[in-house]
Amino acid sequence: MNKTVVFVLGPDRTGIIAAVSQVLFEQGCNLEDVNQTSLQSQFVGIFIASLNGRAREEDLLRALRERLAPLGLFVHLRPVDPADERPTTPCEPYVITTIGPDRPGLVAGVTGLLASHGVNITNLKAVTRSDREHQEYVMYYEVDIPTDTDRQVFRAALRERARELGLDVNLQHREIFEQVHRI
Amino acid sequence: MLTEREVLATLEMLRSENLDVRTVTLGVSLFDCASEDPGRFIERVRAKITRLAGNLVEVCDEVGLGYGIPIVNKRISVSPIAVAAGGCAAGQMCAIAEGLDDIARALRCDFLGGFSALVEKGFTSGDRALIEAIPEALARTGRICSSINVASTAAGINMDAVALMGRTIRRAAELTADRDGIGCAKLVVFANIPQDVPFMAGAYLGVGEPDAVINVGVSGPGVIRKAIDRARAANPSLDLGGLSETIKRTAFKVTRVGELIGRRVAARLGVPFGVVDLSLAPTPTPGDSVGEIFQSLGLASIGSPGSTAVLALLNDAVKKGGIFASSHVGGLSGAFIPVSEDLSIAAAARGGQLTIEKLEAMTSVCSVGLDMVAIPGDTPAETIAGIIADEMAIGVINGKSTAARLIPVPGKKAGDRVSFGGLLGDATIMPVPGDGGSAGFIALGGRIPAPVHSFKN
Repeated sequence: MNKTVVFVLGPDRTGIIAAVSQVLFEQGCNLEDVNQTSLQSQFVGIFIASLNGRAREEDLLRALRERLAPLGLFVHLRPVDPADERPTTPCEPYVITTIGPDRPGLVAGVTGLLASHGVNITNLKAVTRSDREHQEYVMYYEVDIPTDTDRQVFRAALRERARELGLDVNLQHREIFEQVHRI
Repeated sequence: MLTEREVLATLEMLRSENLDVRTVTLGVSLFDCASEDPGRFIERVRAKITRLAGNLVEVCDEVGLGYGIPIVNKRISVSPIAVAAGGCAAGQMCAIAEGLDDIARALRCDFLGGFSALVEKGFTSGDRALIEAIPEALARTGRICSSINVASTAAGINMDAVALMGRTIRRAAELTADRDGIGCAKLVVFANIPQDVPFMAGAYLGVGEPDAVINVGVSGPGVIRKAIDRARAANPSLDLGGLSETIKRTAFKVTRVGELIGRRVAARLGVPFGVVDLSLAPTPTPGDSVGEIFQSLGLASIGSPGSTAVLALLNDAVKKGGIFASSHVGGLSGAFIPVSEDLSIAAAARGGQLTIEKLEAMTSVCSVGLDMVAIPGDTPAETIAGIIADEMAIGVINGKSTAARLIPVPGKKAGDRVSFGGLLGDATIMPVPGDGGSAGFIALGGRIPAPVHSFKN
């Protein structure tokens, strides 16, 4: 059975998931996985659907556009290629937090370093915190670090990059966050 | 996926609230090292401790770095030397202390505890030899800690031992007079000493413990205080029931950190994990104070009327949160009130808001006792013994651990300042009331019988 990825992007409003899932149902697709988020006023959703024998991607794309275009939403389809599956590398989950004043190039600077060490980002979020005296910009990256990565070398490189970018940085095993806050 | 709150709250505990693991203590049984020859004994001890703890500091540093939580102290506790080296004379005991000090230094461990004896019901020759050796041993070593258990709820109070410890403390102070009696900062007299304390100076490995074990002491008074401040700012009408809940929840988080790190260190070293001692242990660092918690709960200072009630609430809430967080809690588990080691408590002692009598009352509800209390150097040994006896009675009757770590600072009088340095902090000498009127009582000796409620068989 073929699978396709449906990307939906546009201004957030009530009823987007309902509209997409209704079209998928009407086109004979089975919704296997879905994730969505919204940043400020913008919605983005990723749906993975399996197409039964009679469903066609062209028909699905047309139907989705007809339903979603009036809502100002962009739709894109991409077939899932089995070759997309990456070989799994043994990894350990860590959390990197960076703290400092906001300025262009921070994310690019950090993520470039992560990529060069084979570190995969699984979640990334920016938070602005302010108190009476000042405002600070906190970014946290949930990452998978391959077990064969030299932690000391990586930690030192991360610190050096953070120093160049004017950031305070912490690298901690994810387990500590779960243990402290979850029962 | 972690939530924003989970990440930011954890970060805050580390960045501005001094969250750390105060100590990872590796307990090592020395009973299989016993020998009639003290030299042979210490070489066996060296081989065993080096085998088990050779990379203790490195492993702790790596695990601490991995989680971003510093492990402040790496320590070793051993079987009571009075038992493990029971055949030795006092001079030989002193040599053993020096050998242990050398081992601790070589392994870069902060302290080694267990120069200890359990004498609540009476003395063996080994006990007497060890106690006789304590002043000299503490003067000659830097990392050795000594504890003597002189009382228990089951056995009562060995008043001969109490009197002997009064004299021993005086002597230990005299032999370290050039360092303001610092020998006494490494000597603690206990009632109901737990077998698995990871904190110094009371750490030793009990006879019922395994061959080797990792016990962890968590801390976090700064975290608790900030949690109280935040809760009160968010809800100004929050009452003591609600604040107790806040403390309990925060103690849960702190204990989970200790449990996680302790288990990882134990796994890396290949030894079993023992207990988390969920105590609030202050340091002289600003913001790492138990005394400041009293101010956050509405008192002008620790020592103000209401302090015993606040400490009771604090101790209970910490225990409740900690017990839920870990299946194996032990040690002392509660709030420490070491006078010199806590800026706020030291300030209260200096300002006169906190007296030794009020401290004693507070120890009936806290987890240790009269801790790091500097007293005038000319305090008679019998008066020191009287203070110890009172403290032991509180522990024995209440079925809890209590202790006395008193420092009669040579040449100094009430109101003088003394600096012990590092984690031991600074203190103002507290006046001791009574004018030496305890001698007649102490001279009676014997054993105060166990209380009626100890007979539970």
